[in-house]
Amino acid sequence: MSSGLGVHGLHKKFGDTVALDGVDLDVPRGRLVGFLGPNGAGKTTTMRGILGLSAMDAGAVTWEGRPMTEQDRHHIGYMPQERGLYQGMRVLEHIAYIGRIAGLDARTAEERAGRWADRVGLADRGDDRVQELSTGNQQRVQLAVALVHEPQLLVLDEPFAGLDPVAVSMLSEIMAEQVDNGVSVVFSSHQLDVVQELAEYVTIVAGGRTRATGTVTDLRNSSPHRRLEIRWAGAVPSWSPPDGVAEPSPHGVSRFLVPARSDAAALIADASSAGGLAAVSFEPPSLGDVFLELART
Amino acid sequence: MTWAQATTVAAREIRVRARTRAFRVITGILVLVAIAGPTAAALWPEGDDDLRSVTVGLVDVDDATAEQIAAFAATRLDLTFRPYAASARADLDRDLSDGEIDVALEAGPTLVWDRAADPQIAAVLHGALQQLDALSRGRELGLGDDEIAKMLTPVEIGERHAQPSNQPRGLAMAVAMIGLMAAFLLPQLYGQLAMMSVVEEKSTRVIEVLLSHLRPRTLLMGKVVGIGALAMAQLAVVVCGLVAALLVTDAFDVPSAIWQFVPVFVIAIVGGLAIYNTLFALLGSLISRQEDASQVMLPVFIPLMAGFFVAQATVAGSANPTLVRVLTLFPLTAPMLLPIRVALETIEPWEIALSLGLLALGVWLLIRIAGRVYEFTLLHTGSRVGWGQLLRLSRGSAID
Repeated sequence: MSSGLGVHGLHKKFGDTVALDGVDLDVPRGRLVGFLGPNGAGKTTTMRGILGLSAMDAGAVTWEGRPMTEQDRHHIGYMPQERGLYQGMRVLEHIAYIGRIAGLDARTAEERAGRWADRVGLADRGDDRVQELSTGNQQRVQLAVALVHEPQLLVLDEPFAGLDPVAVSMLSEIMAEQVDNGVSVVFSSHQLDVVQELAEYVTIVAGGRTRATGTVTDLRNSSPHRRLEIRWAGAVPSWSPPDGVAEPSPHGVSRFLVPARSDAAALIADASSAGGLAAVSFEPPSLGDVFLELART
Repeated sequence: MTWAQATTVAAREIRVRARTRAFRVITGILVLVAIAGPTAAALWPEGDDDLRSVTVGLVDVDDATAEQIAAFAATRLDLTFRPYAASARADLDRDLSDGEIDVALEAGPTLVWDRAADPQIAAVLHGALQQLDALSRGRELGLGDDEIAKMLTPVEIGERHAQPSNQPRGLAMAVAMIGLMAAFLLPQLYGQLAMMSVVEEKSTRVIEVLLSHLRPRTLLMGKVVGIGALAMAQLAVVVCGLVAALLVTDAFDVPSAIWQFVPVFVIAIVGGLAIYNTLFALLGSLISRQEDASQVMLPVFIPLMAGFFVAQATVAGSANPTLVRVLTLFPLTAPMLLPIRVALETIEPWEIALSLGLLALGVWLLIRIAGRVYEFTLLHTGSRVGWGQLLRLSRGSAID
């Protein structure tokens, strides 16, 4: 697998406020990386650093193992967190305009604009002005704008915000297609269930620093906790595992957070002596739980 | 790719602005106004042909003499005669007093006025009577009518001025005033369009998408060129309407010398648009909301107003000559002073060259400074960038 995008030790201060305090991020070619962090963690500032929109105080951004050049940046597709569109322009005209700015000739830009408008489900809205579209449809235009010049690296800041499930599915499909075509994709999102579903790799930042990076499975397994869930066959007994912390549970179910080193078989055997078991699960916490653990530390 | 990107930005600015209803309506109105002047002049001529009608009372003057006087005065006055008997002087005096007749001619010859003499009538009748007397003397001397006519042909008298005139020179001055108004109004209107365009890009965050593909300076160049070209196109359409109306109606005799001013006017207006569009765009980058525009625009209006008022005072002949010379060389006021001084012919060729050179230098410097400031201010949101920060940025220092 080739090296793709590398972000190494980015630092950035705004006055006395430290926005980035050593962010590292790797997005190899043909890989989809979720870039997670609470609000103010430094995700958008990092993305602006990648795009060269904001000068960094220290650190490096590389592409294919060497410092990223202005020429390399022409091959980035960017989707900002807030809608970055001219409200008065028509959809096709807008997509083609950004294509031209990104270096396409007029004919290719128009042809691609039509193709991408069709791909994001806006084939019949091409002559509408952006301001006439719903928030979700504007987000689709934004995606087409990011893809029109067929970039090698996609940087998507909160791409799922404001999308309905159909649009989320469409966007996920397009992102997967791009990865299959060898494009490096990095995206931020607060919808952790979508991230867990979509991304194989994630990087979590908090307080301007990279806190964890790896595959979703590895990150979940690296948690010092496991989630034990027992569905009881009858009345819920007053049983709890040693070193376990009870969590809110629906009727007929007991949920506990237990140390990762716990012996699952022993716990199940102990629980079965307290009451009848209908179902038991013992697994690493979800990506959302891991995220919360890291964000709180 | 920079030039291609700049032209793409410029083309978008032209396309988007030109198709707005407001732009099309305003352009249409301006063309109609431009056409209306010459058309009205052609339909309702002021009339060199409409000679002033004058009624002359005659006392002891025969009809043949009266006809001869009318013939001599025919190019300047339309004379009608009313005879009076020598004994009816009281009637003549009353008619003069009542305005029934403008003047009376008695044998002698003597002109009789009510109170004060009318200078135009007096001059024409004096000339006619002199010619009549010369004709009579010529015949007495045996000269033929052709010889007398040759003798009476007026000499053509030229004029020369030791000092250049400060007085307006008809159509040349009208053209200069059009140049002044264009240099004053176009940068305001189109500069504010440039400013609003920048604020729109900042407030909608489209600026982030644009700057991920092009440099701030390229974006600025494209915007200034596009909006400036649109302004010049609008001016060209209006001027074409005016010229077409002048040619079709033949209402005015346009001196060919006027066309010599045009290159200076065009360069001055283009320079003014470039420098003010850049300045307005730069100020637009300091703010994040259109509501804040008024906070930053005031400093731009100071040189604009100064240039306009000093240019007007120059026309009236009441401006301080040193101030006029200085402001002609200052890039922010030169676009308004140049057209007026060129039309008044109160400017030396070297001054024109220096003024245009400084204007070009000013545009170049401002675009460089604006490009530097732009890199920091375009992504700045929230409170507006202060004047102190702007000064630091323009000197190349960074701000947080």
